[in-house]
Amino acid sequence: MKIGVLDYGLSNVGSIYSAFDFYNYDVSLVSQPEKLKEADLIVLGGVGNFKTATSRLKELRLWEALNEEVIIKKKRILGICLGMQLFADVSYEDGETKGLGWIKGKVVKIEGDSVRVPHMGWNEIKPVRDALLKGIHHNFFYFMHSYHFIPENKDIVLATTNCGELHIASAIMQDNILGVQFHPEKSQGDGLRFLRNFVEVLS
Amino acid sequence: MIAHRIIPFFLLKGKRLTKGTQFRDFVDVGDPISQAMIYDAQGADEIAIVDIEASKENRIIDTKIITQIITKCRLPIAAGGGIKTIRDARKCFEAGADKIVVNTYAVLDPSLVKKLADEFGSQSVTVSIDVKKSAKGNYEVYIFSGTQKVKEDHEVLIKKFIEYGAGELVVTAIDREGVLSGFDYDLYKSIRPLVKIPLIASGGAGCYDDIVRLLNETGCDACALGKMLFLRDYDMVRIKSYLKGKKVLVREA
Repeated sequence: MKIGVLDYGLSNVGSIYSAFDFYNYDVSLVSQPEKLKEADLIVLGGVGNFKTATSRLKELRLWEALNEEVIIKKKRILGICLGMQLFADVSYEDGETKGLGWIKGKVVKIEGDSVRVPHMGWNEIKPVRDALLKGIHHNFFYFMHSYHFIPENKDIVLATTNCGELHIASAIMQDNILGVQFHPEKSQGDGLRFLRNFVEVLS
Repeated sequence: MIAHRIIPFFLLKGKRLTKGTQFRDFVDVGDPISQAMIYDAQGADEIAIVDIEASKENRIIDTKIITQIITKCRLPIAAGGGIKTIRDARKCFEAGADKIVVNTYAVLDPSLVKKLADEFGSQSVTVSIDVKKSAKGNYEVYIFSGTQKVKEDHEVLIKKFIEYGAGELVVTAIDREGVLSGFDYDLYKSIRPLVKIPLIASGGAGCYDDIVRLLNETGCDACALGKMLFLRDYDMVRIKSYLKGKKVLVREA
């Protein structure tokens, strides 16, 4: 099972890579469309600006390649943080930018009277499908974001997280596409086990 | 609900960790990578690591240290020291930092915060500011690791940082730093209404109840620990267990 972690210049790929490497998985960094074809599992991370992320992916010809591998060939993908937000139709971060459009919904700024933005720190996800939480002791994971994904179809929401008065979608799954708003690669032992479950339990 | 964060605050001098008292009398407290691994294993919520000589020496933190830490540890890393351009910050992110910490050059030119937030997103930009209580009782801002005083009022600066997109704010009380006598609770109570972003207190933690009081009374989201961890008989597991017993919301690891 080859895991390809997309390296498109603005995600913290080092941490994601080393988390998969911890379990001695066959993981590599991918920045060319040809290499993406070789991966069985794809991981799309990302920190920073939605618009910049889409243009980098297009510059590197990874945008089309992602559509080919995930939508046509139905390869399993994990989107982390901005990576998950890129699955949306549209984001309103810094104007209006079209996303990959795989999951119907929009990305908007976190706003609310009792909400502290950015949503930063360890927060609880609940409830979540058992398969993904196998071996996990506490459901606390690390969050670091100012925008959140509102999917149209609530049935694809695996887990939500309280952020002030908001209940944000912290994990979503639609067919072969899994997205998490938190950073499993930064969430110590439970984060590692979450990634292991993505690789081993879901397959 | 989001848990309060307990953050070991690593001060670097080049390749070694150091710890002082009121920004003076520094002693060596070990190797940053092995110390990071220890606190990661104990369930620290994050590690902040700042090279306190970088600005003075016109360089940035040794980014190899960041890479070594993120390769060995599975927790968020905020890194800083000497960052004054987008290019400096990019080097830290490429090395694996999740957030960068700016202090001296943000005070000298708050628009640096805007440039960094526009480029990397607010969530990746931590602004740190060092203040000292004067004889008159007001707070004065210091840069270059407490060696140079600036004229600007700390509240005015903080408001600018927020306006320019700072993602979180660390406020260090210089006179409490390394003294182990408790945080400057009034300082944080006065700053809290000014900032909707996460506020992190630094300077003064000496025992469990200092942390309980800070998190219960001031509305701070997180606290930084230094000497209490490095040079006294405390660890993250015991600290969190105590806080949990006092009904302070923390994450168990």
